[in-house]
Formats: sequence, structure tokens, C-alpha cells
Amino acid sequence: MQALEVSGVTKTFGERRAVDGVSLAVNQGEILGLLGPNGSGKSTLMKIIVGILKPDAGAIQVLGNDATKDPTAVKRIVGFVPESPRLYEFLSGIEYLDFVADVHGLVPSAKHERISHFLKALDLEGRENELINGYSQGMKQKLAIIAGLLHRPQLLVMDEPLNSLDPRSARIVKDLIHKLRDDGVATIFSTHVLEIADAICDRIVIMDAGRVVEQGSTGDLKAKAGTPGSTLEEVFLKLTGTSDTREIVEALSH
Amino acid sequence: MRTAYELAVVLTKSQLRGYQRRRLMARIFGDPRIILVLDALFLVVPALLFYMLSGALPSGIEGSLRELEVEALAGIPTAIAFMVILFGVLSEISQAAESMSTDLVNWLPITPSEYVAGSTMSLTYTYSFMLSFLLGVSLGPALRFGMILVWGASALMAVLSLFIGACVVELLRSVTNRISSSFYKKSGRSGIFVRLALTIVVLVFVQLLFSGRIVVYLLQGIMLTVRVAWFVPVVWPSLAVLAGSQGNTLTFVSFAGMTFAFFLILFGLAVRLRAIYWVPIPVSIRLTNQAYHPLRRITILPGFGSAEAAIFRKDMRSLTRRREMTRFLAIPFVLVVSLSISLLPISGTAVPEGLGFFALIPLYVIPLTVFSAVVSMTSLGQEGSAVWNIYVAPITARQLLKAKILSALLLGLAFSVTMAIFLGVLLRIATAHIVLLVTLGIAIVLGQSAMGMYFGARFPDFREMIRSRFISVWGSLIGTFLCLLLAMLTALPILLSIYVRRIITYDFAIVTFAIGLILFFVGWKLAERQIRTLIQEIRV
Ligand SMILES: Nc1ncnc2c1ncn2[C@@H]1O[C@H](COP(=O)(O)OP(=O)(O)O)[C@@H](O)[C@H]1O
Ligand SMILES: [Mg+2]
Repeated sequence: MQALEVSGVTKTFGERRAVDGVSLAVNQGEILGLLGPNGSGKSTLMKIIVGILKPDAGAIQVLGNDATKDPTAVKRIVGFVPESPRLYEFLSGIEYLDFVADVHGLVPSAKHERISHFLKALDLEGRENELINGYSQGMKQKLAIIAGLLHRPQLLVMDEPLNSLDPRSARIVKDLIHKLRDDGVATIFSTHVLEIADAICDRIVIMDAGRVVEQGSTGDLKAKAGTPGSTLEEVFLKLTGTSDTREIVEALSH
Repeated sequence: MRTAYELAVVLTKSQLRGYQRRRLMARIFGDPRIILVLDALFLVVPALLFYMLSGALPSGIEGSLRELEVEALAGIPTAIAFMVILFGVLSEISQAAESMSTDLVNWLPITPSEYVAGSTMSLTYTYSFMLSFLLGVSLGPALRFGMILVWGASALMAVLSLFIGACVVELLRSVTNRISSSFYKKSGRSGIFVRLALTIVVLVFVQLLFSGRIVVYLLQGIMLTVRVAWFVPVVWPSLAVLAGSQGNTLTFVSFAGMTFAFFLILFGLAVRLRAIYWVPIPVSIRLTNQAYHPLRRITILPGFGSAEAAIFRKDMRSLTRRREMTRFLAIPFVLVVSLSISLLPISGTAVPEGLGFFALIPLYVIPLTVFSAVVSMTSLGQEGSAVWNIYVAPITARQLLKAKILSALLLGLAFSVTMAIFLGVLLRIATAHIVLLVTLGIAIVLGQSAMGMYFGARFPDFREMIRSRFISVWGSLIGTFLCLLLAMLTALPILLSIYVRRIITYDFAIVTFAIGLILFFVGWKLAERQIRTLIQEIRV
């Protein structure tokens, strides 16, 4: 069974087609990188996958569960980290995680253990009793990542998760995703940092204007770009029609 | 002065725009000039209306009408100060602490006095339509009775009072800001609670101080001994107008001068406080230093799982910790204070059986309904931009409804019981009748919390802004109106039985309670369906 199967998903906001007939699949224990320029529909697609937006057409299956027919079942096995997450600012970090764990029905002993484990791993220990109000953007991001992982999801959906993380924490999150892969957890995440995608993804999907324009392993993509030894960046720019960056920069600097 | 003026324009615009968000409405009501139009309308229309009305009355009562007009003219200045402060307290003070301290003006090169001047101007300008309405109403009879000079005196003092009220709001802003910032530093759970309590105490105290009712008492005292009222600055404008109406120019000038001096003192105080206390708050509250211990799973109610309990606990915490919630918590206190002020004259005598109690019921029902409906209608919208947490959670509409309705019910019930007991003690009502009031209260709270939940789910507003509303303007208007209607329906059997039989009986309380229960179940069904639709797709 595939961890995630997206077929023909379309979503329109008013006149704008944010997602346009996207189909893709993620295997269990696979890490999929979602690349694409701003506004290409990555965030919208991810919200549809976790069941908080309804597609206009198409179907989503998460480990055999239909996301539109039984969203609650899907939400139980999916972990989601949104882009620039907004948290309950009046709770302390620990209270927030406690809330998330309770909503997922974790038993108290497991809850305690997992929360303290993650707090320590992401350097939040000692700050957990402060109100989130006073946290830095990076600390909030870490909390949201922990919240997405607490209930041991089978599918992890993360929208630019490494944004505003310090290098050490970004490294820890990357390693964590790798480690989860060994336990069979599938991950789909978006990023603008191509090196990261290159380094940790098994497979990459490139979106542009709501459509999937290319997918495959990083090796496949580089091969497809034609010139041997080309980087992922060059592939990306070529596929998304922004390869003439040099001209733009020249024009700007005059 | 120029800077202060420009600042006033900016503040007024942002104030107006805080309320209006629809396109066309925003264009019309976002323009400060709209207030001038309103001012003119509110002055001219009532003036004409009351001019004609006072001419159409039989001449026999002209003498008492003249007296009434003098009293009204004397009352306007104090009334306007009270109203500005009340509005200011309810809408200005409730801004989120963070948005106040990171307010752009903190970083602009503006002196405290420029800021206070600008802000005071903006406040007086925004609330000036209330003043022109009061002046318009009193202008008609004044023209008719040839009291235009007294009216002029009243208008002058009222403008001064408007500025005084605005200064007090300014002062309150600084003081409440100070309260929060000092407790932010002290931190801890008790700190948060003390901050909330202190804020409410300050608000209620100021409201009392500037209440029109108390002024009326003092004015009654003046008739006997002028010396008493001498010491109370709040009544100086009224004393000035009274002196003017008796043609006592010297007394008028001295009271007017004292009022102006009072304004200057308040202004100076506001500037000083702003300069001292208006520092951006370093926000970092540590709640506890103890190690984390997860709560044993507590079942609050049968059928209440850990998810519902978690949402309930979060909402209770938000109540005491979020600055925007202070105004909701303050509603009961402010209402109870206003109520007790208006009830004071009859507090010495026990209320007679039957009709006295009859009159008491709206007094009990209306504040309770407003509080209960507001708490319930805003309960979903409160999630704000963090609402995605609810959307990604594996919970059903019913679970969410259960969690949300429990806090609305608890708050409503607490208020209904407290207020029944309070009224009972104040008016020396028999215990059995207090029980009747409580029964009525429970019936109303049951209906309101469920119905309010429906409106909250139908018209939620998750946007977080300086004045977060949690429910759309239309939703709150329609919701409050219908909730009041339903509350009346609930109270109707008791009211009717008392009215018809002229004694208090308990049998109809059962009917009232049954109506409450029915409304609860109908509201529950409506709300559950609406929440199911709501959580299908995130809208932020
Ligand atoms: N709630 C919404 N309402 C209207 N348009 C939206 C909404 N969310 C996204 N869009 C539009 O859909 C397109 C895709 O947005 P998004 O999925 O956020 O792109 P990405 O995450 O790849 O930058 C954009 O053009 C955006 O303006
Ligand atoms: Mg995005």
C-alpha cells in the first residue's frame, strides 16, 4: 500500500487555479521533496492532502483512507507542519504540546516521555514553561514541528519546515526525517533550499503554476536536464522558466 | 502642535477603519469627514424634532418642562464624560497588550505630550456624535423656552467634559498598560491573575467615579448643601450650567474655570504617565519553574474525552491570559456595578410581592442574556489564526461543540447564580424567589449557550487584529437580536403568570425551564450541523 496517493487533484480560488490536475504518489518510508516557485500551489496541495481544504476534483488516499470521505481517520495518521505556523500565544510551550497530545488522545505516560524527549532534542528544554508569546520565530517553528510528530504519524506533511531554524536545529530536523524513514514513515515536504532537497530527498516533484512539471530522483532530474554534471538548481530554473536569471540581474543592476 | 494634529488624523482613521471592513462601507466610514456629517445630522434632526414636540405640548406643563430642560442641560456635560469613558473602557482598553506596546507610535519621533494631545483629539472627534445628539435633543426645547444662553453654557461645558473623558481614557490606557507590564516582569500564574483582577478593578472604579447616577445623588445633595459637591470635580461642569441658568455669572465663570483647570491637570497627568509607563514590554512570562508533570487523564463529564478536555482547558486559560478576553470578563462586573447604582434608591425597602418582582426580571434577564450569548457566540472565533490546530486535529464536530459549549455554560451559570444572589441580597428578596430567579437564569443560559454556538459557527471571524471581534458584525447583530428574543420567550411564562395572578408562583417556572431545555436541544442540533460545515474547509 502506498502512503499517499494523489490523483487528478484540482483546486480553484475564484478565478485562480491554485492546483491543476496534480497526481503523485509517495511510498511508505520515502521522502518526497516538493519544489516550485512562489505561488505554484505547493501549500495548497499540502493543505488538501492533510484534509483541511477540499479539492474541487480528484482523490486523495492516505494509507488506504479516503481523505474526503473520512477526514478524521486521515488526520489521525498524518502529521502537519504549516508554513509559518500560528500557535496559541497565551499557552506555554509545554501546555501547547500537552494540548496537541491530548487532542490526539496520547496516554499520559507516553505523552510525558515523548514531549520531554523532543524538547531536549530541539534545545527547547528550560524554555518550555514560558508563554509562546515570548518565543522567537524559530522556537515557534520547532514547537510546530514537535506538535506534528507527537502522535507518531505515518505520513508527515511539512511546508517549508526548516524556515527560520538555526543550522543546528535544521540539521536535527533533517536527521529526524531520515530516521523516521527507517521506521517506514513517509514524508512530503516543500522547500526553497535546493541543497536540502538534493541531500535528503529520495524523490523530487517540481511544480509550476499548479501543475507537476517534472518528477523523479535527483539523479533522474539531472540526467533529464541534458548537460551532465548540472546542478539541481539549474534543473529547477530550466523547468520553471526562470533560466534567464542572469539577464534579469543584469537589467536590475543598471 | 502640528505633529499632534497630524497624529490625531492618523489615529482617527485607524480607529474608524478598525470597525469597518467591507469595501464600500470602508470607503464611506473610513473617511474622518463622515463624523462631521454625522455630527450635523445628530444635532439638527433631533433639534427640529424636539422643537416641534415641545411646541405641541399643552401649555399647562410648561413650568415643569422648563425645570426638566435645566436639569437636562446641567446633566449633559457629566453624561458625555461618562459615556466617552465607558466606550473607551470597552473598546480602547481591550486592545491586545502586544499590539499596544509594539504600536508604531512608540518608534516615531513623537513626544508624550504630542501623543496624548493627538490621541485625545482623535478620541473626542470620534465620539463627538454622541455629544451632538445630546445637544441636539436639548436644543429644541431651549429654543422654544428662550434658554439658548443656558444651552450655550451647557454646550461649552460639554465640550470640555468630552476632552476630560478622553484624557481619562488616555490615563486608563497608561495605567492598564503599566499593570500588565509590571506583572509581565513579575510573571507566574498569580501574576497573570492579579493583572486581570487589577485591570477589572480599575475599569469598574473609574466607571463608578464618573457615573451619571452618582452625580445625580450629589446634585440632590447640592440643593441642600452646596458645600459637599464643591470637592467633586466631576460635577463642576454641571454646577457651572446650573449657575448659568440662575444668571449667576460669577459662579458660572469660576466653575467653568475650575473645570478647565481640572482638564489641564488630567492632561498633564496623562502626559506624565505616558512618558513614564509607555515602554515596550519585554514579553517573556515563565509560568512555573517546576518540572513538567502530565495531568492524569481526568474525565470532567461522562462522554467527555481527552480531546474535549484539552480544548476546554485551553479556553479557560485563554480567558484569564488573553488581553482581549478581559472585556468579556469585565461585562458582568461593569453591568453589576451599573445595576446596583440604578437600584440603590430602592435598596432600603423590600420589593413588594408580585409586580415589584415582575419589574426586576428584565433587569436580571437582559444582562445575563447579553453575557451568555456573547460568550457563546465568540467561543469559536477566539481560536483566531491558530484555528488550523483545530482543523488538523482528528476530532468531530460534536466533540468540538461539547468542549466549546461547556465553557459557555459554566460561565453563564456562574454569572446567573452570582447575580441572582447579588440582587437578592441587595433588594432583600425571599430565598424562594431567588431560587425562582436562578431557575429562570439556568433556563436562559441553556438556550443561549447552544443558540450562540450556532451563530458563532455560522458567522465566525478568525482574523486577529487590534480589536478582534471573533464574530462578524452582521453575525453579532443578528445573533444578539435573536438571542434576546429567545430569552424573552423563555422568560414569558413566568412573567405572564406573575402579571395575570399578581403573585409569584412556581408552577410556570417549569414551563420556562422546559423552553430553555428545548432551545438547548434545538440550538445544539443547529450548531452541530453548522460546525460540521465549518470544519470541512479552513477559511483563513
Ligand atoms: N485561500 C486562498 N484564497 C485565494 N487564493 C489563494 C488562497 N490560497 C492560495 N491562493 C493562491 O493560490 C496560488 C498558490 O498558492 P500556494 O499554494 O500558497 O503557493 P506556494 O505555497 O507554492 O507558494 C497562489 O496564486 C495564491 O495566491
Ligand atoms: Mg507556500
